[in-house]
Amino acid sequence: MLLEFKDVDTHYGDLHVLKQVNYAIERGEIIALLGGNASGKSTTMKTIMGVVRPTRGQVIFDGQPIEKLPTAERVRRGIAPVLEARRLFPRMTVFENLEMGAYLRKHGAEFDQDLERVYTLFPRVKERRTQIAGTLSGGEQQMVAMGRALMARPILLCMDEPSMGLSPIFVEQVFDIIQEINRQGTTIFMVEQNANMALSIANRAYVLQTGQVVLSGAADELRRNPLIREAYLGELQVAV
Amino acid sequence: MANGATTGTTTAPPAGTETGTITAPSLLTRSIAWIPEARRRQLGIGLLIVAALAFPYLIDSNDADVDSMANAAAYATLALGLNIVVGFAGLLDLGYAAFFAIGAYTYGILTAYQLQPAWNSFWDVFQFLGLASPVPADVGTGMVVHFTLSFWLALPLAAALASFFGVVFGLPTLRLRGDYLAIVTLGFGEITPIVVRNWSDLTNGAAGLNGVAAPQLFGWSFGVNSVPYYYVAIAMVAMLIFISIRLRDSRIGRAWMAIREDEIAAGAMGVDRTKFKLLAFAIGAAFAGMTGVFYVAKLQTATPEMFGFPVSVMILVMIVFGGIGSVWGVVLGAFILQLLQSWWLQDLTQWTHVLGRMVNSTILQKADFVQSIELIFGIILVVMMLFRRQGLIPAVRPQKALTFDQQHAEIRRGGFSDLKLQGLGGEVRTGAAALEIKGVTVRFGGLVALNNVDITVPTGSVVAVIGPNGSGKSTLFNAITALVEADEGSIRFHGEEMIGLPPHVILAKGIARTFQNLRLFPNLTVMDNALVSQHTRLKTGVLQAIFRPPSTRAEEKAAREWAMEVFSIFGNRLVPRTEQMVAGLSYANRRRIEIARALASRPRILLLDEPTAGMNPAETLELAEQIKSLNDLGLTVLLIEHKLDVVTRLADTVYVLDHGDVIASGKPDEVRKNEEVLRAYLGRNAQAAAAGAA
Amino acid sequence: MTYTDLLLQQTINGLSLGAMYSLLALGFTLVYGILELINFSHFNVFMIGSFVAMWTLQMFGLSGQDVILAGLPLAGVLLVAFVVTMGFCGGLGVVIERVTLRPLRNVKGPAAMITSIGVSYILFNIVLLTVGADSKNFPNPLPTIRYQIGGATLDFRVILIWVIALLLMGALYMFVQRSRLGRAMRATAQDQEAARMMGVEVDKVIMMAFFLGSALAGAGGMIFGLYYNFTSFIIGFTAGLRAFTAAVLGGIGNVPGAMVGGMLIGLIEAMGGQFIATAWTDVIIFSILVLVLVFKPSGLFGRVAPNKS
Repeated sequence: MLLEFKDVDTHYGDLHVLKQVNYAIERGEIIALLGGNASGKSTTMKTIMGVVRPTRGQVIFDGQPIEKLPTAERVRRGIAPVLEARRLFPRMTVFENLEMGAYLRKHGAEFDQDLERVYTLFPRVKERRTQIAGTLSGGEQQMVAMGRALMARPILLCMDEPSMGLSPIFVEQVFDIIQEINRQGTTIFMVEQNANMALSIANRAYVLQTGQVVLSGAADELRRNPLIREAYLGELQVAV
Repeated sequence: MANGATTGTTTAPPAGTETGTITAPSLLTRSIAWIPEARRRQLGIGLLIVAALAFPYLIDSNDADVDSMANAAAYATLALGLNIVVGFAGLLDLGYAAFFAIGAYTYGILTAYQLQPAWNSFWDVFQFLGLASPVPADVGTGMVVHFTLSFWLALPLAAALASFFGVVFGLPTLRLRGDYLAIVTLGFGEITPIVVRNWSDLTNGAAGLNGVAAPQLFGWSFGVNSVPYYYVAIAMVAMLIFISIRLRDSRIGRAWMAIREDEIAAGAMGVDRTKFKLLAFAIGAAFAGMTGVFYVAKLQTATPEMFGFPVSVMILVMIVFGGIGSVWGVVLGAFILQLLQSWWLQDLTQWTHVLGRMVNSTILQKADFVQSIELIFGIILVVMMLFRRQGLIPAVRPQKALTFDQQHAEIRRGGFSDLKLQGLGGEVRTGAAALEIKGVTVRFGGLVALNNVDITVPTGSVVAVIGPNGSGKSTLFNAITALVEADEGSIRFHGEEMIGLPPHVILAKGIARTFQNLRLFPNLTVMDNALVSQHTRLKTGVLQAIFRPPSTRAEEKAAREWAMEVFSIFGNRLVPRTEQMVAGLSYANRRRIEIARALASRPRILLLDEPTAGMNPAETLELAEQIKSLNDLGLTVLLIEHKLDVVTRLADTVYVLDHGDVIASGKPDEVRKNEEVLRAYLGRNAQAAAAGAA
Repeated sequence: MTYTDLLLQQTINGLSLGAMYSLLALGFTLVYGILELINFSHFNVFMIGSFVAMWTLQMFGLSGQDVILAGLPLAGVLLVAFVVTMGFCGGLGVVIERVTLRPLRNVKGPAAMITSIGVSYILFNIVLLTVGADSKNFPNPLPTIRYQIGGATLDFRVILIWVIALLLMGALYMFVQRSRLGRAMRATAQDQEAARMMGVEVDKVIMMAFFLGSALAGAGGMIFGLYYNFTSFIIGFTAGLRAFTAAVLGGIGNVPGAMVGGMLIGLIEAMGGQFIATAWTDVIIFSILVLVLVFKPSGLFGRVAPNKS
């Protein structure tokens, strides 16, 4: 088991966001987390990264509880995020953004290797490496964001809505690359609104609804489940 | 010992002074401590007035103590004025002393022997009015003008002049963020004394004005006797407390607080931000202008040093200490700090000197705590900000908890049959367009958020806009409500062009919206939130707010009743909570308040941005029914929604946005089957998804 | 002096003042860039810097106008004085941040700014109450060497001030642009949450910004003393406001902008004093502040726009 949530609760002030949530992610999997807006998906990502601390429950990474560790320590242990809406450092060059991804690691042979890997996965990023990140198109920014995360040489890659705001053609490209990254050995935990797209590459999925896991299982089964469409596009009928 | 006599007086000060030092402020604080308890409120205020009136005779008429109290009262009026700007409207003004100076010099120049134009027949009319008199010139022969403006006329005149400068100084700061506003006001606060110092002809420069006239009442001059000044100051404090409270609890005060809480939302709820920010600057400045007149009349001199940055900071310290936004708090803060300076630190210094002599310590004998007052101010600012930001008397009063019955009452969802809801909806489906969006394009830098969008909302219908995150839905709402500027295109509402109008006018025209991420005014009550949005429907101006004529009372009552009617759409979910602060309510209730607030403005079209986001299925169903009922009343609705079955249930027409383009539109069922929609929403595997749905 | 000579002389004076304002403006810009806080305590960290420098020089027996050292020993003493002053002020900045500002970091509204005004007041009054209100003679250890350029005079100390200021600013620029921590600082300024998720320890970065900014303010304080040959508890306010104007002029949050802005404000002060009137200097500078904020809020080379989006 690479990442586990055990009965995790989180609050923003009085607002109870995650309610006794449990996830279990095996090494090498692609896991999709589906759900409507404000269902707690982004909070899940923030809880993994340590931006939000659980008020109850445990987060276990690689066999050790991490819920009390600072973000930097989690990054050091091999968790890297691809943030919602990319969140590049807009006034830095593409290369500097990649350097920030490897912030906790030393420059050297490993750095050059990783850089080569990113440039191979995203030839476009290599072309744009001296450009200021804020001036890139949305799709290019998504590639830099993924490249930046890979520069941390993560064991677990947490992706928050990688398809958001991208044109369909880019979405397909992005998902192909996610599969490629996974084949190279990185476990992927992915929040997505684009359920079918996500389920087409995921091994398993969880469906969140107002902070609770209401459905989970193998992606193939969930895809055949007629409820899944309604589960994230409309919640009314699921509840009945 | 040569100084034996001095020692005697310091070790045993006159009993009267001592009593005054201790009882008077504690009487004051105790009286104020009673205020929050509503039952004793009037009693408390009554006692306070009696104590204030009796004060000069409580303490053997010690003139110095009365003088200190008069000064404290003057600072209380300044604190009340700054509180309107900083506490109510949330505009941090660091140059407030400038208005104090403007008031002071207005009176000073028009009563001292500073401006002395040659006397001619032009001045006869002023002499007739008592504003000027001829005096022999110092140099040469002939007569020159001596201005003799009455103190009582100077008060309103200085208030008006200071207000004018309040608007002038306020204008350039309107678009600035809070912290920049602070630095610009600080700049004006610095420039004002510099101008005073260098414009010697008018102000006598650094030497200051001398011979400023004392006020006269029916021919009797106040002279240098503290008592009449004290009563004038107390009367000013009482008047300004009254005005502050009346303004706070009115349409005006609500508009200020809405700006303070969330400026964007305030605009979208109909508050003219420019006007009300300037109004706050003007009224705050007017308070300071009046106080300036009083202050120089009392001192009978004015120098530029009396109005520098330290004065602005001192007044800020007073309101921070007392409680930003709290009327009684800032008065208390002003009195405590002023008396600290003029009484307690002097006593402390004397006691320390005595102690120093007893232990033979020269350091203690030389200590002077009065000089450390500014150090104490600094410490107060830091300590209050770190440990008690709400001040001594918080502006936000503790709220009544819900009763057991209220908390455990069965949830009623609310129905519409028994609601009158006059003035809401009533539109007939004529087929005419309520809202017609044509060719609207919005660009952010290189990104096209909306691309040539055409959407028509027929009167009386429900139109839904769907699309993936980031497809431009919220930008569409922002363009309609003027929160972002459309680069191209036209938005017509019942035939009238909306582009180019400011947000508050758009609300007044009848377009009300909710925000996806909730932009309520968190530190206002549920009721106040729904009253702010009625801002444009109400008429109360400053004078009506202060004097509360029957028409204003009736208007306020009707506004509250209307808000209650709107709340009752949601059954008993909001009704028992109308006096609670929004910040403490549940997420679902805050979503409901967001809708109630928009409805309270009596819109002709309601724009809902993901009203069910984060709601559970039961709550979603409930809200969908309520939206349906609103539409049945004849209210036009434009809806952004992710949950497709909510859309299917409610919408007459659906538009699908993707990357800022409308890629499909039509009846919900048609749109659900549209290939391109499936692709935009679901990516590849669209066929499989369609099959799954079938 | 001819008109050209006057212009030249005031350019020299202006650039000297400007060097000081630039150093001070950098502190505003570094902190604002990350925290969006106008740090009023910076004013008096600068003032305290001038006192620390004075005391350090006095410890080496330098006081008044006596030139008792020359050559390498003088350079050594000056270097020590700069290091001590910058270290002390940097530490002071870090303490201010840690004790008074960090607890308020997530508090909305003007609380942090009001606190920094309070801290500034405390520093100001501590110096006033302990050192006294009279201005102090700042040691003048530098040899009097003057170069005539036309009718204008170029003092040796002016050259020294330029060299020191340029070295410090160059070092800061290289640090921010090239070093790993400098990059983390820029990243934090651009997107704090994203930087945190890259593993940047944001608290440390903020502390670093306060240290560097305050240390530069200390250097500015020492330069003030060397230039004017006096110091007083009162110097922080005026210099601070002018330097803040410089930061706004250059586009607050923008490091090279603050440097250029400082030079411009120095020149404006010198020229305004020569050709208009010293009494109106602050009015001119504040008018510039207001005009820039109203008409070009992102400054001349701006990045972070201070008006609402």
